[in-house]
Amino acid sequence: MTDAIVQASGLGKSFGRKTVLHDVSFNIGPGEVVGVLGKNGAGKTTLLELMLGFTAPSAGSVQVFGHESRTLPGPAKMRVGFVPQQDELLDQLSVADQLRVIASFYPKWDGELIDRLCAEWSIDTRARIKVMSVGERQKLSILLAFGHKPDLLILDEPVASLDPIARRQFLEQLVAISADEQRAIVFSSHIVSDIERLANRIWILKEGRLDWQEDLDSLKESIVRVHVRGAGGELPQLEIPGALAFRRQGATLTAVVRGWNAGAQAALEQSGSVRIEIEPLSLEEIFLELHR
Amino acid sequence: MRTVLRLLFMYFMGTPVLRALTLGGLALWAISFYILTTQAQSTGKVMLGVAGLAAVFLGSSLMPLMVGRLARSHAMVNLPYGRLKLLISAFLTVALVSLLAGILALYSFGAGVSAEVGWWSEPHLFDYVILVGKLAFTTAFIVAGWLYLALWFVTSQRNMFGFAKGLAVIAFILLVPVREAQDPVAEFSWQLLQIAIAWIVFGAGFLLWPKWQAFSARWRPGAPAAPAGASKRRLEGREVDLMLGTANPLMFIAAQAVPIIIAMRFGTHGNSVWLYFLTIFGAVAGAVAGQAAQRSRVLWLRTNWSRDELFRHVERSFWRHNGFVLGAIVLLTLAIGGYTGITPSVFAAGLPLLVLGTVLSTYLGLMVTRGLRWIEGGVGVFVMLTLMSLAIYVVEAKGSLSVVFIAETLMAMLIFVLRKAARRRWARIDWMECRAPRGFAGRGAA
Repeated sequence: MTDAIVQASGLGKSFGRKTVLHDVSFNIGPGEVVGVLGKNGAGKTTLLELMLGFTAPSAGSVQVFGHESRTLPGPAKMRVGFVPQQDELLDQLSVADQLRVIASFYPKWDGELIDRLCAEWSIDTRARIKVMSVGERQKLSILLAFGHKPDLLILDEPVASLDPIARRQFLEQLVAISADEQRAIVFSSHIVSDIERLANRIWILKEGRLDWQEDLDSLKESIVRVHVRGAGGELPQLEIPGALAFRRQGATLTAVVRGWNAGAQAALEQSGSVRIEIEPLSLEEIFLELHR
Repeated sequence: MRTVLRLLFMYFMGTPVLRALTLGGLALWAISFYILTTQAQSTGKVMLGVAGLAAVFLGSSLMPLMVGRLARSHAMVNLPYGRLKLLISAFLTVALVSLLAGILALYSFGAGVSAEVGWWSEPHLFDYVILVGKLAFTTAFIVAGWLYLALWFVTSQRNMFGFAKGLAVIAFILLVPVREAQDPVAEFSWQLLQIAIAWIVFGAGFLLWPKWQAFSARWRPGAPAAPAGASKRRLEGREVDLMLGTANPLMFIAAQAVPIIIAMRFGTHGNSVWLYFLTIFGAVAGAVAGQAAQRSRVLWLRTNWSRDELFRHVERSFWRHNGFVLGAIVLLTLAIGGYTGITPSVFAAGLPLLVLGTVLSTYLGLMVTRGLRWIEGGVGVFVMLTLMSLAIYVVEAKGSLSVVFIAETLMAMLIFVLRKAARRRWARIDWMECRAPRGFAGRGAA
């Protein structure tokens, strides 16, 4: 991909003897919404911070808008928005002042958009940040990343502190932003349903490796639950390549299979007189099966 | 009881550095104690014990942070007698450190007054030495309690306000309880009463704090809105300083000046202590730069500066802030000098010390890009000890100041070394290594 917004190859990160990321390679193009999933400690935050240039890779490289992320020039940084996991607001200021301070760094700050979102998200711009709740602070952090209309928006667990209504509003806004085909969004979350609703590409990080990085439909087609029933009440001896989990009950074998395709189905059908049913899995079920 | 003991163990042994300080301090104290019980007193022998005591105190520096964090945690609501156990553990920590001070004072004083005859065999001497030990214990108890409070402010709220509050407490303890302890008519019962009142008030406040918060929340008003125009003017051109926490040196200056002025009026008038204290104040003012690295992360993302340019902007911002603070300290020194009769030669050698203290600690602070490690800690201790020794020497030297000027020149050269080291570190700054600890009240920039 030549017009990739982010390109990484052989990316690795270690802290002392502990390796957090191993040999991660990916491209993110315009219009892509990447949902990053992984257990705690899987390396999600490290991966996002490597993309932002906050930390140096121990191996490989990551480029953002064609520049090494560690030495991102000013104009490229102006095209990046970031919502950190833990907000970094100035407690002593009011919301309006905080917005004003951040706006001063961007020549193209969309004040109208922010005013509208403040009203829609019920953010009192006169309130002092010090007395705001965790959820309100999180909403404000998100606004601060939206204001300059970044081409690359990176969000590290942005909805963790939001109530369902605020989460829905946030997701709607993210959908509106992602409608612009020039933008890319990368966001990590433990709320799998949000990722399923929004992302068109899924990354699953497992033990520091990118275990999956395809679009959501491919993932759902590739990892399925297969029910194999033996004809006549008897189940022949079967071998299912890519099976993540098995369960046998009477003449029925249920398996979660990775890498399922027409060829795998044909091979299974040829192995005996069996009836095969395919059950699609939700993203949450897939995530759980991959981490079983 | 098990919880309290576990907490005490964590305060003194929680990290490898604390463990080394506590065990090393105890070893020094024990050696000093052994020597003082078998030989005549000398400054070196006592200083060995004092150094051990200081190390044990520093070894328990996790206590205020842990107590504060745990007291504010949600878990504390559910733990049975959680706050009471925390309070007891804090009290015992202060008591343990003070006990070491009391015993050391008792034996060093005893060794000093009776090199030939054992003080314990002379009834009058025995009573007096015991009284000195008891007074040392109570004084240490009072001072250590306040010092832990200062540590709590500085470590829990790692911003200007935290430093300012910590400084105010240090100024208070240096000039009020210490002076009172030097008073020849200090009374043991009066000191005990002070401890009892202070801990009853603190304990009641600590235990009843959640109830008070719930009660006061009903009447807490919303923050008044500032007029938009005034707010805009207030912020314009100071955005970077605001994000670095250097926008308001006045707060810091006030926190230093008010206790100094009060102490000057009501406290000690001896000019020998002033240069010493003001040098420490200057150095502490510079040390706020230690928070620069973690605060600069999003500044880097939101500006068009490279890491090297970022360092220069941060450096400029701290120079501006610390320059104001240093100016205020210099003015205070001149005022105090006029008031207490500091000689021109002391001014000539002392004022550069203030400047050196602030500038050196600013660059030491800027060097902290990966948390406080052995190298910064070691250089910091060296710089502080040198500055404090020079401050004492300047006043005591009475005329011969060439050593001071040579030392000041060497310290000035050290500034360039530290700046170069700081700049090199910022060129490859890694914000994953200087992340602010979670849950701190004072946050960085957005």
